[in-house]
Parts: sequence; C-alpha cells; structure tokens
Amino acid sequence: MIDFDYARASSLEEAATRSRLPGAMLLAGGTTLIDLAKCDVVRPELVIDITRLPGLRDIAVEGDRIRIGALATMSRVAADPGLRAEAPAVTQSLLLAASAQLRAMATIGGNLLQRTRCSYFRDPAAYPACNKRAPGSGCSAIGGVARGHAVLGGSDACIAVYPGDLAVALTALGASVVTTDREIAIEAFFLAPGDTPERETILTPGEIITGVSIPRGPVARSSTYLKVRDRQSYEFASASAAVGIELDGSTIRDIRIALGGIATVPWRAQAVEEALRGRALDETTIRTASRLAVEGAVAHGGNAYKIELGARVVARAILTAGGLQ
Amino acid sequence: MAHPRPVELQINGEAFALRLEPRVTLLDALREHAGLTGTKKGCDQGQCGACTVHVDGERVLACLTLAVQVEGREVTTIEGLAAADGTLDRVQRAFIEEDAFQCGYCTPGQIMSAVACIREGHAGSDDEIREFMAGNLCRCGAYPNIVAAVRRAAEEAA
Amino acid sequence: MSALERRAKQGDASDGASPLGRPLSRADGPDKVQGRATYALEQPVAGVLHCVLVQSTVGAGRVVSIDRNAAEASPGVRLVLDAGNSLRLRPVSDFYGNKPEGETYTPFAEVVEHNGELVAAVVADTLEEARAAARLVTITYEDAAVIASFADARAGEGRPVEAQDKGWGDVDAALAAAPVVISQTYETPREYNTPIEPHGLVAHWEADDRLTVYEPSQWVDGMAQHFADWFGLAFENVRIVSPFIGGGFGSKGQPLPHSAVAAIAAKMLGRPVKLAVTRPQTFTAYGGRPGTRQTLTLGADRDGRILALDHEGANETAATKTFVETLGVVTSMMYAVPNLRSRHRIVPVNTVTPGAFRAPGKNPSAFGLECAMDELAEALAMDPLELRRLNEPDHDFENGKPWSSRRLLQAYDVGAQAFGWARRNRTPRSMRDGRQLIGWGMAVGTHPVYSSPAEAMVRILADGSVEVLSSAIDMGTGTYTILAQTAADALGVPAERVTVRLGDSRLPRAPVAGGSQLANLMVGAVHKTALAARDELIALGLGDPASPLRDRANTLSVEGGRVMTPRGEAVGIAELLAATGRSVIEVKRDTLPEGERSDEERRKFFTTMAGMERGANLPVSRHSFCAHFIEVRVDEDFGTVRVSRVVSALDAGRLYNPKLADSQFKGGIVMGIGMALLEEGVVDPRNGRILNANLADYRIATNADVPAIETISVGEPDYAATPLGGKAVGELAIVGVAPAIANAVYHATGKRIRRLPITLESLV
Repeated sequence: MIDFDYARASSLEEAATRSRLPGAMLLAGGTTLIDLAKCDVVRPELVIDITRLPGLRDIAVEGDRIRIGALATMSRVAADPGLRAEAPAVTQSLLLAASAQLRAMATIGGNLLQRTRCSYFRDPAAYPACNKRAPGSGCSAIGGVARGHAVLGGSDACIAVYPGDLAVALTALGASVVTTDREIAIEAFFLAPGDTPERETILTPGEIITGVSIPRGPVARSSTYLKVRDRQSYEFASASAAVGIELDGSTIRDIRIALGGIATVPWRAQAVEEALRGRALDETTIRTASRLAVEGAVAHGGNAYKIELGARVVARAILTAGGLQ
Repeated sequence: MAHPRPVELQINGEAFALRLEPRVTLLDALREHAGLTGTKKGCDQGQCGACTVHVDGERVLACLTLAVQVEGREVTTIEGLAAADGTLDRVQRAFIEEDAFQCGYCTPGQIMSAVACIREGHAGSDDEIREFMAGNLCRCGAYPNIVAAVRRAAEEAA
Repeated sequence: MSALERRAKQGDASDGASPLGRPLSRADGPDKVQGRATYALEQPVAGVLHCVLVQSTVGAGRVVSIDRNAAEASPGVRLVLDAGNSLRLRPVSDFYGNKPEGETYTPFAEVVEHNGELVAAVVADTLEEARAAARLVTITYEDAAVIASFADARAGEGRPVEAQDKGWGDVDAALAAAPVVISQTYETPREYNTPIEPHGLVAHWEADDRLTVYEPSQWVDGMAQHFADWFGLAFENVRIVSPFIGGGFGSKGQPLPHSAVAAIAAKMLGRPVKLAVTRPQTFTAYGGRPGTRQTLTLGADRDGRILALDHEGANETAATKTFVETLGVVTSMMYAVPNLRSRHRIVPVNTVTPGAFRAPGKNPSAFGLECAMDELAEALAMDPLELRRLNEPDHDFENGKPWSSRRLLQAYDVGAQAFGWARRNRTPRSMRDGRQLIGWGMAVGTHPVYSSPAEAMVRILADGSVEVLSSAIDMGTGTYTILAQTAADALGVPAERVTVRLGDSRLPRAPVAGGSQLANLMVGAVHKTALAARDELIALGLGDPASPLRDRANTLSVEGGRVMTPRGEAVGIAELLAATGRSVIEVKRDTLPEGERSDEERRKFFTTMAGMERGANLPVSRHSFCAHFIEVRVDEDFGTVRVSRVVSALDAGRLYNPKLADSQFKGGIVMGIGMALLEEGVVDPRNGRILNANLADYRIATNADVPAIETISVGEPDYAATPLGGKAVGELAIVGVAPAIANAVYHATGKRIRRLPITLESLV
C-alpha cells in the first residue's frame, strides 16, 4: 500500500466535499478498498472514513418501499426479519456472499461498488494492460484464460465480471440506489464497460450512496436467490439468478429476473420475463424461456460453460420461486 | 505524507498507545506493534479468516481493517478470550477436547469466529455451523472436529 | 463414533492403563487455543528490519537491468538487494540433488526461468515502508519464449527418468492375449501446499560467524546444514528454531531462496531481518505438486484377474532443475500383477521447481491406478470392490518380499459394511434424490513406512518430572503429545509429568519430518532412551548407598511416578533423587546403526536423506493401507459435485494416540476432497504466470465442503515394520480419496472425468 492520509468524516457534506480532492477515496467496510490498495490496484492519497457518520444504518419497511441505509452492514441486513419476509432474495443474496466476517464488515453501499475479481485487473505488476485500471492500455483477459469472465455485456475493451450478489437481487426486484444527489434505478446505476470500462457506475465525483430502496409487493415477497459456484461457500458465483414471481393460481402474473456471475453488470433477463408473463408455471415452458436469458452471449477463453449454466440457473431459480421444487 | 500518529487502541480491555501510519492494518498493529501475535496472518487479503478478531463484539478480519479505524472501539483478540484467572472459554476447551486443530495456525481465527458464530445464533445444526464457519480455512482439514467443537460449546452455552 | 469409543478398534495394543496408545488431548493444545504458541515470525527478536520480496513478472528472459534508485529513496529503506549487489554464497544442492551452477550462489535470478521468480528484495524499517518501496523496483527484462506448462506442444515429450523404470514379465504378450483391456490417460494439475502459515523467517546473526534462524521447518538439522553450507559456517554455528509450524505438507523441509535473502540482508545490515513471503508469492516461492499425466493400460481375464499393467507417467519440472513426481510407486505394488512395465518422463517447462506435497508420487499414482481399476471393473461388469479383492497380492510383487502387514482385506470388509456398499446398484445414474444424482465410489490408498535413525535425550528432573528433548518437530502431527506418552510409558510416570521440547537444532538430532516417518522413528528413539533412563533410575534405587530402597529387593519397577519393590514398598522419583543427592538423570541414546556413529556419519544421517533408504535392506515390505468409500451428489443441472458421505477404513498399524492419528486421517481426506473437486494452479499459457495465486481463487476446501467423515482403524501392531508397531499415518489418508470421488462421480452421472479437479463445466 502506498502511504496515505486518513480523515474521519463527521458529516455527509464533509465527506462529499473531501471526496472530490485528488486521490481521495471513501472508506466504509474496507473489504474492497484495503484489499485493492494492497494489490496496488488503487492508490489512495487520502482515505475518508465514513463509518462514523450518523444514521445511514437503518432498515425500514415503510409504505410501499423497503429502505436500507448505505452503512448498514451486510450481516445486520441479512439478519433483519422484516426484510426476510418482504424480500427473501435480498436476504439470501447477502447470506450467500463472502464469509460471516466479511459480511460483518462490508456495508450495503460498499457492496454495490465492489470491484471485479478479474485476475488481470488485480495484478498490475504483471499485467499492465487493463482498460479498467489504465484506460486505453488493452485487456489482458481477452485472449487469456477467462474461465470466470463474463459472457454477457462485455466489449472489446473489457470482459470482467461483476462479482456481487446483492446487486443482482436488487436488479431483479427493481430497486433503486439513493445518493446524496438523487435516486437512481439500479439498472441505470451500473454501466456496461463499452469503451470506458473504468466507469463502472453513473456516480459523479462527490456523490455518495446513502441507501437503497426496494419496492414492496408480491414479486419481492415471492423471490429467491440461487447461486452456483465451484466451492460450497466463501466464493463468488459461477452463475447466479434472482427471481421474483407473482402467481395467479398456476399462472405467472408477473416475474422479474436478474443474473449474476456471468455478465459485466447485474443482468436483467427481460426477454425471459416477457416470455413467461401470463404463461402457466410449467417446467418445460420455464426451461425453454430461460434460454433467452443468455441470448447474445459470447464465450472467451474457457467460459463457454457459463452460457448453458446461466440458462439453467435461471430456470431453477424460477422453479424455486414458483414453488415447483 | 502521512507520518506515524498516536493511535490509541482498546484491546482486551487494555489501552494501547501506539504510533502508527494510517495505512497500518489492525492485523499488523496487533502483531508488529502491540506484541499480540496470537492473531495470525494467513493471506493478508481477506481470504482465509486466520486474522479474525472481534470489534465491538462482531467478528471481523483484522487484515482488511485499518488500525486507526477502530480507535474508540473495543477490540478482542484470542489473548483476551480466557477469563482473567486463566479459565479457558468454553470454545477454547471444546477445541482441545475435540482436537479441532492440528498445526494451530488457523486456530485463533477459528475460535474467535466460533465464539461469534454461537453468539449470533448460527450454531443450530452441523450444516449451519459448517456454513457460518466457512470463512475460516483450515489446511490441516480439522473441519469435522471444528464442527464438533462448536456444537459442543454451543450446547454448553445453551 | 468418538475417538474414545473407537479406541478398542484402533489397533491399540495398550491395555488402557499405559499412556502410549491412549487418546490424550494435544499437549500443545492450551498454548494453541490461547494464541501463545509462538510461530517463526512471532519470535521476540528485538530491532528487526522488514524485508519484502520482488518477484519476476515475466516467465523467461534475462534480467537486463534493475533500477533500485526509486526504492532506495523511498522512506525507511535500508537496502535494496538484487543479484548485482547481493552477498554471494556457496552453491548448495537442494533436497532433490539440484545444485546451482557456478562458483557462487545468489538467490536472485539473473536469468528468469519462471514467472514469479525471486529477483530483488527491499529491506526497510517497517513492513509498510518495505512493501511500498518494493513496488518501486523497476526491472527490465530481455523476454524469452515461455513454455508455460506441458500442455504447450513445444514442451515436447521431455526426457526419461531411467531410475524410475521398472517391470517384470512380458507385458506386451500378456496384453495382446488379454481378453479385456482398458487404456486411458489421467491428469492432475499443479497443486499447492498452501499451509495457512505462509513461508517466512527471522534471520539473526548473533556474531559474525553465528546465525540463528527462526523459520518454520520440517527439518531443523537439514536446514541448519544448508545455511551452514551457504555461508561457509560450521554446522554447530547455525541454529534453527522452529517450535511450532503452521502447516507444511512437504513445503517446509529445506531453506528456499528467500531464506537466503533474509540471512544475506541481516548479514549485510548487521541487524536481524524479518521476511514474510506474501500469500501470492508463496505460489512461486515453493513449487508444490507438478502437473502430471499418466497412461495406464490394464489387461485382465474375463474373471477379472489382472494379467498385465503398462504404465507411462510424466510430470512437469523446472527448466533447469529436476523434480520427479514418482507416478509409478503405487502402480507397481498395489495388486497382484504378473506382468508389469512402468516408465516415467519429466518435461521441463518454465515453472518454479516443483516440490514435495503430501504423499508425493503416491497420491497422483493412486489417482491413475484407482480410476483405471474402476474402469476395468466397468469393462468386466464387476463390482469394483470385488475386482480389488480378487487381485489382492499375497506379497509385494515389486520386490518379492512378504508384507510386514497388509490388512486391506479387513479394510474392505469393515469399510464396505459401515458404508453399506452391498446395497450399491452397479449401474450409473441409478440413484437420485430430487435433482441430485447420487453416486458411490471407492478406491484404495497406501503409503510406505520409512524409519530413519534418530537421537533423543530424556532427563528425569529433581522434582520427578521428565523432559524429552529432540530436534524433531511438530507441525500438528502430534509429536509433542506422543513423545510425552512414549516417555511416560517407558518410565512409568503420568504423561502430564513429561515435558517435550522440540524444534531447535541445538537439541539431539532428528531426520526430516517427511515420508510420514517421524512418529515411528521418534517414538522408537524416545522409548529406547527412556528405558535407559529408567534403568539408571532403578540402578540408583538398587545400588546407591543413600537409596531408601537399597537392599529391599533384587528388582524395582517404576509406576505412577514411584519407584517400587515387588512387595509394594515405594518412594517417589523426586524423593529417590533427593535422597541420593542427584539433581538430574540425563540419558541420551540413538537408533543409529552400530558402527555408523562417527560425527560425520551422524551428520549424514540427520542432514541428508540417507536414513530413509535403509528400509530397502529389510526382509519385509512395509506399507500402510486404506480403503475409501465415498458418496457424492451431483446436481443434474449445474454439474456441481458435493461429497456427502465418507467412510474410510485404514491400516496404519498401531496408533500411538488414536485421537490425534484420527485427526491426521480426516485431514488427509479433507485435502483429498479439495484435490478432487477444487484445487488447480491456473497457468497463463502466454507468460507462465499463476493466475490464481491466492486463497480465494486457488480454492481449498472450506468447512462447508466437508461432510461428516467416518474413519475406522483396522490396523494392528506391526513390529516387523517399526519397533513399536506403528506404520505411516500422516500422508496415508489423502491417497485414494480423489479417485474414489472420481469413481463416485462416474457412478452418479455416467461421465468418466480423467482430469482433476472435477469442476462443473465438465458435467454441465
């Protein structure tokens, strides 16, 4: 880690102002920032600790929304019975992420901003070429071993996968990210790499996440998060899916689906949703429709399996959310 | 740039007045500055759990925590787990009884994690223990005995 | 079944009263659970400087220049070291006989042969300063072509290792005549030891010619000799201190290049230097198991009797250094094979020199053989367990010797019974639970018994307590505990009264803790020494004019810490020593061969592998054996494999402490689960870099990956194998786990996966 200065913010305004200083970075749970600073991927000159800011920790079910403060830790949010009843996919996405220790540290806001696990991104000494780290320098993953990389949402500049679980559940449930400046629909929040993989979200300098807001309703209440990975625990997704479903008898009245682990951003599967709305909840129908989730997928360096896996994970998550297994 | 500054840490109920650069992690502060080497460094990047300590009663990874971040918070390490008179915590006793370790290097982290796991109410079944202890790697493969030790300690605590 | 309940079945020859054989808790347990066990980097050495390594970022090429300026100017930096300014050492052969070329040796590469090779190092006042400055060392390379692994066609076929050639009978004729033949190729990837304690050391020059090294070590005497040779010091002038080792699994048997760096830096700066290899750096600071591939051809008659076995193995080795993963070792001794041929090749590529990793050779050897046996059973439409029973050898076909003991048939019976193997339907995909396909597989493992000579010292102290002293080590293997039990047993004192001191090259000498030999050989040496101490104590009681027991009896015994006449008159040991004016009884013995006890011969036995080869002269073939029965569940959509049940029956002879031996068994099985399903060093074919050099991406099993494991000891004391009847324990149980899982996956899915690890993409 390079040498850096440290300051504790006493107000959001102060944090926002100081975070605009050159080389300044916000520190919450630290599980991404400190890790990447050790890898030399980020080189903060000033670390602004926002963990002592008042508020921003509440979990509230109010009216038609569930609101979670940005500084609430993953473990606290995962333990909230109200959230579990209202949006089980969110609870599950948290419990299936990382480890108990990391969940006790990491915050909801920081979780959304976690960076990719791309081996090349994380190893600047050996791989100077990384468009995400050094715009215009090239991509070491394309043409390399890319078993864990994205099959959806990639570009010629970057195929790094978005690693998180929570954002996938939030995407399925149509949540929004609340910042110091505005409220942003989560699908607009994350940016696919395109030609600018260094820009991962639409946050502007000085803008700080203050919470997330999840719409309540039958879709959220009948939601599930399914995560498939090589190791049983303490691992990122090979593929994951969040599904919220509203049934009318055995007919799918509404359904919302998002995928993780196979795309550069949390990946909404609208085509599958459209194919299933109004249809009977039936395994063959679901399996056929689920293939639409990976339409347009492109394989690189050993990750072709993710295309088939992605479709199957979606299908199984729908079956689970629909109570068919 | 950032020179060492006074940092006062509360560790195991004792005040430690240290001089640390802001970039010093809690793990390195414990091991290299406070003389508390019971907390182990297995990966230094949040991937093994050997450095698990409690901050305000919650289990966290000391390698991804800056020391300066925990000023004013109560840090508990493996050295602070036994009672003042030396009586071992029930989790420590259970680890010995069940032979829940071999080389012993992941053990302080396992035990700190296990204490929190029980306190959180996540020791209800063997499968739950396995999942909520999965953040502590053990290369000697003591997992079956770790599960038995956590179960035993949890039953005693109940 | 608890360890206690199982005691009677554990091959324990004791009657329950004598300490050896009892399931005592770990003697070092209280220290370990309180964070008081002091590992190498935790030794309180005042005034240490911190050293951080710089490794190469290319896979091959000459180092053209190293710009040290920026690093040297960085705050707190004391020294930036590379081949250009490093103290030069004397070249020393490694464990495997590789000797650096040239008149002098530097641990820093001048010509890079693998990615992640040690090129430079930075020493600074604090760890943070050294780490930051290490980033500032700029190295310019003249790139050369990289052959990253033996999957690269340019690596070619490599060269034969003739010393590994073996064979008998006429394999070609037998195969030509065999009605059933299978032939397949099996592969294992690079695997890494990844002990949770990374490598590292503190080097401290106590004087110009006296070096103390605190380094985790599986062999303090061997390491002391290595440092002594590097620096041209007398063996006695190097002290290695390693009371606790945070896991080794073969990786901590000898000093590595970074070990030299710390000692060089300490020498050049006149200050103790602490060097912690970072977790990513450990993947190329030590090699781990090389990638292997082997082709087995098995011919059998229609009843299943094996007629011939042809075996060709190969492993990756470094560009200019040799490491042989002996893939033919299990192949040639496991079954009754009348015609056999085994050949081995090594293929140089741009990798760090591979090294020993738990059950080197045995483990991948069994993977090939035991998968092939399952395929043969399939081809014969036979139960795989029946096939093995049918081909059980009554002696070792490789050397013609009888087994010292081989209770594998008992392991088959007991293991199959406990697992419920008889209920197995042979047809693949015949069992399921919802969307989970269930498969049952089995395989066997084995490990040879070695027992080098050793020394030991036993001291009976004035208070009646006992000390055992040895340079042997305990890396979680239980040495502290079982040596206390051994001394207690021989001396007639409670085990709690015995203190064991280990892991210091100033103590009486011991060979490497490798090959699963240490427990048996140290138990033997301590037993012999403690008996001699007991004799001395009894002689004191019988003969010393001041002894309270003098003239009371012709013989004395020692029980419960008291010296007794046959009629039951007794005095405490402390009382006897006090009465006779003795402050200590100190006895040192060894198990060296008669006539090979000169200083030079002693040194050779404890600083080379000489002792391990002595078993070749014995009239028996000595091995431990095990049979694993494993259930897997494979998700039919996702291809994810989870091990859901393990029953292993093991014959490791007499267990000196069944509780601790059981932990070793389970630990080996856990590591085998990781090997089968998770572990793989991923190499970038473009530059030879290990892409997953960390504990998140190089996946070892977590607690959640491991089900309940049932282990059953079927061993009996084998006094033909070792003096106190034990056989190999530590490395035994990992052998055979991976093929049992691969065979279970086949049974679950009908897909035969011949390359480890078995990951979901091969089953989706």
